[in-house]
Amino acid sequence: MTDKLDVKQGTLALMILRTLDVLGPLHGYGVARRIEETSRNRLKLNYGTLYPALLKLEQEGFIKAEWRQSENNRRAKFYSLTTAGRKELARETREWHETADLIAAFLAPRREMP
Amino acid sequence: MRHIRAALARIAGAFRGRQEDDDLREEMEAHLEMETAEHIRRGMAPEEARRQALLSSGGIAVATDAVRDQRGLPWMDAIAADLKYAARALRHSPAFTAVVVITLALGIGANTAIFSVVRAVLLKPLPHREGDRLLYLRQSMDGPGGANINFSVPEVREFRAATPSLGGIAEYSPWFGTLRGKDEAIRIDVGLVTGNFFEVMGLSPILGRLTRPSDDGSGVPAVMVLTHDFWMKHYGGDSAIIGKQVQLDGNSLTVIGVVEPAPWFPDRMEALANMVISPHHLSALMVEGRSHRMTEMIARLAPGATVEQARSEIDAVYARMQRDHQDTYNPNAHYRVAVIPFKDALGERARLTLLLLMAAAAFVMIISAANVANLTLMRGVRREHELVVRAALGAGVGRLRRLLLAENLLLTLLGAALGMVIAVGGVRLLVSLAERYSPRAGEIRLDGVVLGFTLTLAVVLAGVLSFIAALPKEGSFAAWIAAGVRRIAGDARKHRLQRGLVVAQVAVSVVLLMGAGLLTRTMVQLSQVSTGLRTEEVLTVDVPLLQVGGGPSEGTDPRAWFQTLLRQDAQAKVRYDQMRREISGLPGVIEVGVGSSVPLRGSSTRFEVKAEGRSLPVGEPEVRPDFRTASPEYFSASGIPIVKGRGFSTTDVAGGGKVVIVNQTLADKLFPGEDPIGKRLAWTGEVLKFTPISPEWRTIVGVTGNTQDGGQDAPPRSVMFMPFAQELAMGGVLVIRADSNVAGLASGVTRIVRRLAPAAPIQGVLTVRQIKNESVARQRLNATLVSSFGILAVVIAAVGIAGVLAFSVSARTNEIGIRMSLGADRGRVQRMILKEGGVLLVIGLALGVTGAYFAGGVIRGLLFGVAPHDPVTFAGVAAMMAAIGLAACWVPALRASRIDPAITMRA
Repeated sequence: MTDKLDVKQGTLALMILRTLDVLGPLHGYGVARRIEETSRNRLKLNYGTLYPALLKLEQEGFIKAEWRQSENNRRAKFYSLTTAGRKELARETREWHETADLIAAFLAPRREMP
Repeated sequence: MRHIRAALARIAGAFRGRQEDDDLREEMEAHLEMETAEHIRRGMAPEEARRQALLSSGGIAVATDAVRDQRGLPWMDAIAADLKYAARALRHSPAFTAVVVITLALGIGANTAIFSVVRAVLLKPLPHREGDRLLYLRQSMDGPGGANINFSVPEVREFRAATPSLGGIAEYSPWFGTLRGKDEAIRIDVGLVTGNFFEVMGLSPILGRLTRPSDDGSGVPAVMVLTHDFWMKHYGGDSAIIGKQVQLDGNSLTVIGVVEPAPWFPDRMEALANMVISPHHLSALMVEGRSHRMTEMIARLAPGATVEQARSEIDAVYARMQRDHQDTYNPNAHYRVAVIPFKDALGERARLTLLLLMAAAAFVMIISAANVANLTLMRGVRREHELVVRAALGAGVGRLRRLLLAENLLLTLLGAALGMVIAVGGVRLLVSLAERYSPRAGEIRLDGVVLGFTLTLAVVLAGVLSFIAALPKEGSFAAWIAAGVRRIAGDARKHRLQRGLVVAQVAVSVVLLMGAGLLTRTMVQLSQVSTGLRTEEVLTVDVPLLQVGGGPSEGTDPRAWFQTLLRQDAQAKVRYDQMRREISGLPGVIEVGVGSSVPLRGSSTRFEVKAEGRSLPVGEPEVRPDFRTASPEYFSASGIPIVKGRGFSTTDVAGGGKVVIVNQTLADKLFPGEDPIGKRLAWTGEVLKFTPISPEWRTIVGVTGNTQDGGQDAPPRSVMFMPFAQELAMGGVLVIRADSNVAGLASGVTRIVRRLAPAAPIQGVLTVRQIKNESVARQRLNATLVSSFGILAVVIAAVGIAGVLAFSVSARTNEIGIRMSLGADRGRVQRMILKEGGVLLVIGLALGVTGAYFAGGVIRGLLFGVAPHDPVTFAGVAAMMAAIGLAACWVPALRASRIDPAITMRA
């Protein structure tokens, strides 16, 4: 079995927001599945990581939850983005890109002096 | 925004729970099922699919805990759990809890009550705008009545001209007058103020306006500002009073406003008026007379100026004044001016007493805290087994400490709550005490700051109590548990602490008792001082009929005013005589006299006096006896003894030869070693010009004994009596002697006075005994308060000694059993335990007596007739403490001697 990465602090919220942005309202299982697939199974989300993160986003007002029927006719809690959440996603995405550019510039292979 | 929102959600989350837990369980169950279904769809066996799903969940219980932590405030849950546990533990030892809570409540209650008084009277900023920049100036000199001689207008003028560091100087004369309303007349205290007074004081009106500089001088309308208290009390807070006319001593004044609540100096004031109603204040004498001092001075520091600057400027001006007017400032009388922050001036009289009470309360707190500490330590030892078990089950030292803290916090907070209840009662008592010392007594309340003080006290106590309990070091548990140990703390160390606390309790109790003893003896000594009167069973009624406070109107001849005054005086005397005759007719009345002043109260009117044919030795301050008048019956009715010569007779009337009676003090001062009878005296001084009192020679016909007019602890003052019929009466006090129960005559007397003088304010209907008791009421309150603290301290300390010894006995049961089985008899065992307690007692006593020796010096100023290191009090207190201490040791000693060796050995 390959080593699974732990989710980096602070990045999980962004992944959840992005997932809900792309797929629309989704239950916890769907979010976890999607994140694991997107990471090509390099990430593994257990409940103890996933559900506190969802609750935190809900408390901050970025996502909201409601009970609905799931695809296999079971009651499940579906999460969806709020307006504030959409704004937060845009903001965090921008920041993330900036950080990534910056780090990439630093880590770029050194050019040989002519 | 997002943080606030999240915080709110979490606070709300802390109070939900069950429903949320159910939801979470259902949500995670759905997750599991969906994942299981997915695995099955991919071809896994159902059992295996479920197992895999559970495996990847990472543990449902762990996740539930993580979500719960995110949902609420985890630390709050932990504290709630600790408190819940602590409450349960305390419920299981109700006796311990009750003793600790009550002990703490007494200590905390006493401290809260006294702190609320100290804060209001000494600490709280003044309500005046920038009140810390107000200064009070006091001129004093040596000799009787010299502590505060006020300022004259020329003095104020010169100070004002040469003190740039003072932004404003307000003048202010305490005065009193009779305010006449529709139904009745009352005597009120009025401050005569300059127009800038309120501006300098930094006070604002809550209604109408205050005085301003245009209210100064002559020819302006007379105006009056009501103080908030008087407005509420007398006018019921009715705003319609503004603009109304009121009658004060025959002057008509317009009420222009009500000033915000503020402390008045030197005492409570009912109203403030401009100076136009007092011709004294506008007369040439007042304006030009350097020694005509009637004004208090309050100044405000200019922006940027300091008290030191003001002080040095004042000193410079004053030195120049003394140089320029050597006739006015007799160098032997040591004239001086003190510059005192106004707040300190207001707190001056209260400071020593309050510090005494604060110290006493702090001592009670120390003793009760020590007791609680001991109880906690003992309980800690009994609980060691429990703590070891808890540790074995995984509680770390931090966790155990937190548990202790929760318990102690619960105890001290309960104590604080009960203490607040005690404080509410105590504050009521203390307000009546503070009113005698401070004009700020009205500001005393149990407000947020006081509550904060109490809570801080409780929390700090809880912290201290939790950290003196010994807990083992982290990691050492395993060894202890492996060894099967029941006791983990070093017994010797803990016992030393307990013993130290007992010694401290004894020592502090001794100091408190000593203070109580000294103050009680002071009170006894004071009430044993002879008043100088033959009897105290005399009823006095003060009925001022004459309005001495009035004066000639502007521009008229003062002599015309004197005529009016003397005419009124004659009318008043007719009415006093009627009252006297009618009261004489009441059953049981033996004699009724009338005079200008109440026995033992003295008079506030004093003039300079000279004796015929002799001049004062150079450098001796002038003699200024009390000016008093008395009818022939006054002396025998009030029990003032005539020690030489005769009293007044009915022939000493207006037309007859002028006669006077002096008291022993005045006779000794003016005619030392000579017979004063037949010598002649006269009133003198520039002030006299302003009164209808004649400066002619008067013959001394009698000498009275000295009476304690300024209070039981004051040196006797000089007094000069004139016949009531022969001189301006200056007031009217009826003194009534009866064969029994003089107090019972009060209602009959009041009825007669009311009928004959319906408009007169009746001041006080008091027996001389009441007046005397009133004069020592302050000392009695001091003695009572400190004594109750002392008794409280001793009781708590006795419980402490008994408790610690009892604990020691129970810890040594085995040992004692062995001793007894080896031949020690009961007496020996008793002596052993008594000795253990006795050693602590002796050390405590020694420390306490040493402490009391120093404390005695500190309260010297509150003592009378007893030395601060009075050996009788010291011996008495030490003996009392020793007796109580031994009695407290006896109980556990007896219990020890009743130990049955057969039973203990087998246990």
